[in-house]
Amino acid sequence: MKLINRYVAEVGRHLPLIQGREDIEKELRSTLEDMLEDRAQKAGRASDETMEIELLKEYGSPQKVAATYNPHPYLIGPQMFPFFIFILKLVVFGIMVGLSVVMGIQIITQMSVMGSEFVSIVGKGISNIVSTSIAAFGYVVLAFAIIERFVPASEFKMGEEQEWDPTTLTREPSPDAVKRGELIAEIIFTFLGLAVLNLYPQALGMGFFTNEEWFFIPLFSAAFMAFIPWINITFLTEILLDINLLRTGLWTPLTRVFKIIIEAAGLAITVAVFRTPNIIGFTAEMFKNSSITAEAAQTLTTIFTTMFPFILIIIMIIQGIELAKSVYGLFRVNYETK
Amino acid sequence: MANTESLDNVVLELRRGVIVLAVLSQLNDEQYGYSLLKLLSDQGLEVDQGTLYPLLRRLETQGLLESVWKLEEARPRRYYVISAEGKKLLPKLKKEWAGIVAVMDKMLA
Repeated sequence: MKLINRYVAEVGRHLPLIQGREDIEKELRSTLEDMLEDRAQKAGRASDETMEIELLKEYGSPQKVAATYNPHPYLIGPQMFPFFIFILKLVVFGIMVGLSVVMGIQIITQMSVMGSEFVSIVGKGISNIVSTSIAAFGYVVLAFAIIERFVPASEFKMGEEQEWDPTTLTREPSPDAVKRGELIAEIIFTFLGLAVLNLYPQALGMGFFTNEEWFFIPLFSAAFMAFIPWINITFLTEILLDINLLRTGLWTPLTRVFKIIIEAAGLAITVAVFRTPNIIGFTAEMFKNSSITAEAAQTLTTIFTTMFPFILIIIMIIQGIELAKSVYGLFRVNYETK
Repeated sequence: MANTESLDNVVLELRRGVIVLAVLSQLNDEQYGYSLLKLLSDQGLEVDQGTLYPLLRRLETQGLLESVWKLEEARPRRYYVISAEGKKLLPKLKKEWAGIVAVMDKMLA
């Protein structure tokens, strides 16, 4: 029986952390003992180690046996997979375009220093694109794996899996139904935003090779960094709300109010960033030690310091529209139910 | 070789479809896993233990079976029996099965 005990323990080790793990082990042990007894009776002799080995060999490897009990063998299930691929392509494409533009700017601003430094910039740029894409791939996989765990496949149906009713084309969609695709996209991008802001702040800025040394100028100043905890809180609350909406599938007045609060907080942060002076880290001063000419540095600084408020205004407009939509959603539903 | 494999796969799929019905039909009297395996085998339905045990747990989670641990001959055994919900489902499944058999008999005649 020693081998059976070891075998059961080995199966247990490979069992997923599901409820009733001990129960499975107990039942397996009992079954194997029954089977062994049966064999001994048929053979007309007491069971021995050879008999145990034969039995366990037939029963299969512990990993294989444990796998049959795994209720959730997917990291990203087949229902979510097409959407995963869609988001992955979008993210990797965005990174390639974004970082290629950064590399382009570096090449243009350093036209005076060609030769080996040019090769360095291109080499560094390409390796940056590759490493960032791989990191983004990891984060997208992680985000989807979390969604897969939090939202069971039975509750989550996409595309062709959904029971489709052609009459849905003729009637207005329920104002309370959540748009799952939008929510998932929002979760993924918020998650990526969190990861970049907190783990890869160096991705937000410009790097150069100067005299064989890597020279990096952050895009944002310390004044911006003070906003990161607030942005984190807003982003995390948004992710939690979205996961909850994915699970329930419906908006309620409470979740709508939450959404309004989060969106208002987001807008408030953007307004605060807009009102904070010297948020951009680029100054002509900072480029002094780089290989960039003073003129190019000035142009670059002017571009970013002029562009940034415009970008913020666009973000504020988008946030304002989203906020107005949420407020409208809350009142429309309340009005219609009265 | 490839043909044998595809034949095996098709047969496996066919069997997989009927195991739930077979198990529910045999659990009017309580059985533990191994005794049920032998019971099915004695009647001509060979089921792999790797399929049967997880299935029993799944059916219990779905509320179609109930189980209880009993100590027999110094060995704990988990006994399964069809639940009230399972009893309600069984006639419907039997009817489905009869329909499938009738259709297939006609098709294959």
